[in-house]
Amino acid sequence: MTAGEAPSGSAADDAYPEPCPGSYPQPHPEPHTEPVRPASAVRPFLLTAGRVAGGESLVPPIPVETQVVATSGGIAALDTFAFEHRDIVAVCQEPLSLAEIAAKLRMHLNVIRVLADDLRVDGRLTLHLPQGNPARDASVLRRVIDGLRAVPDSRGARRDY
Amino acid sequence: MARLPDDVPARPPLPVKMVIAGGFGVGKTTTVASISEIAPLTTEASITSVAAGVDDLTHTPQKTTTTVALDFGCVTLDPTLKLYLFGTPGQERFGFMWDDLVEGALGGLVIVDTRRLDDCYAAVDYFEHRDIPFAVAVNAFDGQVEHDLGDVRWALDVRDNVPLTVFDARERGSVRDALLVVLEHALARAGG
Repeated sequence: MTAGEAPSGSAADDAYPEPCPGSYPQPHPEPHTEPVRPASAVRPFLLTAGRVAGGESLVPPIPVETQVVATSGGIAALDTFAFEHRDIVAVCQEPLSLAEIAAKLRMHLNVIRVLADDLRVDGRLTLHLPQGNPARDASVLRRVIDGLRAVPDSRGARRDY
Repeated sequence: MARLPDDVPARPPLPVKMVIAGGFGVGKTTTVASISEIAPLTTEASITSVAAGVDDLTHTPQKTTTTVALDFGCVTLDPTLKLYLFGTPGQERFGFMWDDLVEGALGGLVIVDTRRLDDCYAAVDYFEHRDIPFAVAVNAFDGQVEHDLGDVRWALDVRDNVPLTVFDARERGSVRDALLVVLEHALARAGG
C-alpha cells in the first residue's frame, strides 16, 4: 500500500461489532483498577478541534503500528510549524510507529492519529500502513519466527533450530 | 552514505505486532520489558466500555470512554521487519480497545498466574471469539507452577489445539520462546 491510502478494512459495523454484554466473564465485581495517568492541563482533543480517531468515528482507526516518516518537505518546513505539529514532524525524521510518537510526545494516541493524518494530507509526513493481514501470511510469519529465533537470551544463546 | 532523492524517505520496516494479554499484575509489562529493545513505553489510549443500563428505559447500552495507559515495546528483527508488543490494558469489558489493537496482530499471548486463573478468562474468550491465534503461557513466578498444565487447560477450558506453555516473564529467552509458540501456532493455521 502506498503512503496515504486509507487503511484497508471494512465498514464501521465490522470494525466495531455490537458488544454482547455479559459475554466476558466478570469475576471481579469491584471497579477496574488499571493505572490512569492524570489528565493534561490541555484537553487533548482541543488540539484536533474536537475531531477524534477511533471510538465513535466511522472510519477504522489507523493501526497503532503504522510507520510514520517525515518528508523532506516536512523537515524543510519544520520551523514554520507550531507546537505539536512541529514535534511530530521532528520526531519522525526516523520512521516511528504512531504508538511510539504518542509515547515520546506524551500525547494521547488518538490525538496523534488525527494530527499525523492532517500532516500527511499536507505532504509533511508519509504514513506506511501495514499491508494485508500478516497473521494469515505464512511468509511474514516465517520471517518473524526466523528473526525472533536469532534474538539471544540473557546469556547470549540463540534459539537455533 | 548516499542520500536518497528528496521526498523519497527510506522505506520504513514492515511493522508487525503481537498482543500480550492477561489479568492485572500478571506480568504483561515485565514480559514486554524482557524482550523489548527499548524500555517499555506508555501512551494514553481511549477505551470504550459498554454496560447494559438496567435503569435505562431506552435499553441503550451506556458507553463510557476511559483513558488508560497502554504499554508497549518493540524488537527490530532485521532492518525491514519490526515487531511491536502491546500489553492490553485491563482485563475485561474493553473489547473495543482490543479490537483496535488486535486488528492485524500476528497473535496473542495470554499470560496466566495459576493462583488467579479467573483473571485470564476474558482474554482467552476474546481471542477465541475473534479467531486470533493465541497461546496460553503460565508465568512461573520463582520457577514455581502450582498446578499441573493439564489441570490449567481443564480449568481454562481452552481447546486442545491451543498451545499451553510455561515461561518466566523476566527471562528474555523464555519470553522469546513463548512468543515463538504463538507464532508457530499461527503459521500452522496459516497453512505454512
